[in-house]
Amino acid sequence: MSLGRFLLRRGVHGVFVVWGVVTVVFLLRFISPGDPVNFIAPLDASPELRRRIAEELGLNRPMYVQYAEYLAGLVRGDMGFSYLRGQEASAIVFARLPATIELAVAASVVAVVIAIPLGVISATRRHQPADYGATLFSLVGISTPNFWLGIMLILVAAVQLNLFPTSQRPVGFLEIFGHLVAVELAGPSVAVPLDVRAFAGTLGTWLWHITLPALTLGTYFTALITRLTRSGMLDELGKPYVDAARAKGLPETLVRYRHALRNTLIPVITVLGLQLGTLIGGAVITEAVFAWPGLGTLLIGSINVRDWPLIQASLIVIGVSFVLLNIAVDALYASLDPRVDYE
Amino acid sequence: MADLLRVRDLQTRFFTQEGQVNAVDGVSFEVREGEVFGVVGESGSGKRLRDADLAADVRADRPDAVDGSFVDLLGLPDRVRRGLRGPTFGTVFQDPASSLNPSLTVGEQIAEAVEVQRRADANPRSVDSRTQGYGLAKFLVGGTVPGSGYLDEASEARAVELLEQVGIPDPAERAEEYPHEYSGGMLQRALIAQVLAGEPDLLVADEPTTALDVTVQAQILDLLADLQAERGMTILLITHNLGVIARMCDRIAVMYAGEIVERGTLSDVFERPVHPYTQGLLGSVPDLDSVGGRLTPIAGNVPSLLDSEMGERCYFADRCPKAMEACLDDPDERSAAGSADHTARCVLTGMDYGDSPPLAEDHFGDGPSRDGHDGGDP
Repeated sequence: MSLGRFLLRRGVHGVFVVWGVVTVVFLLRFISPGDPVNFIAPLDASPELRRRIAEELGLNRPMYVQYAEYLAGLVRGDMGFSYLRGQEASAIVFARLPATIELAVAASVVAVVIAIPLGVISATRRHQPADYGATLFSLVGISTPNFWLGIMLILVAAVQLNLFPTSQRPVGFLEIFGHLVAVELAGPSVAVPLDVRAFAGTLGTWLWHITLPALTLGTYFTALITRLTRSGMLDELGKPYVDAARAKGLPETLVRYRHALRNTLIPVITVLGLQLGTLIGGAVITEAVFAWPGLGTLLIGSINVRDWPLIQASLIVIGVSFVLLNIAVDALYASLDPRVDYE
Repeated sequence: MADLLRVRDLQTRFFTQEGQVNAVDGVSFEVREGEVFGVVGESGSGKRLRDADLAADVRADRPDAVDGSFVDLLGLPDRVRRGLRGPTFGTVFQDPASSLNPSLTVGEQIAEAVEVQRRADANPRSVDSRTQGYGLAKFLVGGTVPGSGYLDEASEARAVELLEQVGIPDPAERAEEYPHEYSGGMLQRALIAQVLAGEPDLLVADEPTTALDVTVQAQILDLLADLQAERGMTILLITHNLGVIARMCDRIAVMYAGEIVERGTLSDVFERPVHPYTQGLLGSVPDLDSVGGRLTPIAGNVPSLLDSEMGERCYFADRCPKAMEACLDDPDERSAAGSADHTARCVLTGMDYGDSPPLAEDHFGDGPSRDGHDGGDP
């Protein structure tokens, strides 16, 4: 099967999954306690006022009518208006999405950069100090809760040592790109030089702020990938093709990287992709600890005030990202492993 | 003919919870230039000097590795020893399907073997020249940045040539395919091509046909025989299959319980076998000409190779139909009646032990121990 057909089939499949997500998310409102009207109306509102608010928000209509209307809206890209902010829910969610993606990607980068070399070292020096160190690190990393690690990092690295800021995200990655795009837009005829200082400044600020949250979110992930790489490498290094590769005179570096690591990375990349989806949905605690303005903080804030259009929009965006990443991982898997066909 | 490989007092031991296992116990032999030397034995006889062993444990000596003097392989550092693989000896393994990396094309893997040699020849002084800084970073960019990979175009072209030489049709196209797209026989051909890439003086074939269909087995053996004739290559053939031995080998060593029990030319061993084990082995081969007769199996199993249970005696005595008291001493290798090379490790060889009383039926305990020592099979 070709890649195009594979994507088409998985895309159609994905639409149904998203529909299921939408339905569950929609139904959540009817089984959750707390009437949104209570959060909108003044405390001393008359029953008449409360009735009018409910009517305006469409909350008094039968459930199936609301469901049909919600679906019809979604198809047009309309996720409703936030009850309290009076803005389109989709606009608010998409404004928050870059922060979450940045954090998830940064955490993954931390994980890959640390975990894969660590896993390889650990596997090739099995039962030596480096291996014990790496194994201990991954055990601790997997067992450390996010919120505690985040708070400790803030206490030590930010408050005590004053190396990093405690919270906030003053600039986004898009603004770093902005510097480059400005040069590009001006065109070759108008010589607008890249403002290196401003560019470096923005990049620096961004890096400075994202370091602690990325470490917090990435530690568990790093530990997981280290373990996976280590056991995968040990597994591959024990296979006959490794002996055969050595037998033809290949130096150990080639046997290790060109042969064993290549096959180890196939499952590692799969887990990496799937975990990226988890990071997008699961950065809630880390975002809360670092006041990171992503989907997680938005979701918590919206739940606290029963702002259902926002809750629904956030959950749907998280769900859709998950589905898309899954499709991407499967496509990648088939291109990495020659034995796997697009099926 | 001059010796190409000398194996001196090879011992392979491994240590289990039950104690030390002497898988190979003091084996010595030499392989002469241009011959096919066969090592034969049943399962558990210790015949499989896997290539790993050959590198780690064999005191193998190479005439022209260093100025015509023999080199002690065991004494070499690992990196230097690995440099001898390819141009001096190459190995064809038993299971072709698992001996190739599933995620590299067959062509790439053969080209690697060419490339490693090309790089070593280009800079013979440095053992590391063949790596040329290849590491994690090179591996990661190798797939994306053109020209940064390990392989050279000339090496890839040579790989296609080699595939053609081992009889793979459409070699240019097949080189682009992955191992799972090959049949078992094709894979074994590809593995042979990979070994030929290093142009080795010695080819070690470790059960090269065991995993293949019977018809394909014959093709692979023909290929090996042709290559040997064309290139004057020396082959060390390890197998349990007497048919393969009869078809291919000039000289043979028969192994039992980690020792060579009989050796000699093909006709010595096949026509005038001296050791009762060899006789038993030959007696258990089906003969197409004699219809209706029963095969004569050797009773029992290969004995335990646990050091504690072995002692000093003929290890075949408990299964031997001719066992006698004299067999309780460790027999030496003695010259037998055949050619100058013909020897056997048996007291019956060349000397008259007719006076020695037969061994009591229950000398090694009753029933079960005649079938080998239970639980000690490594």
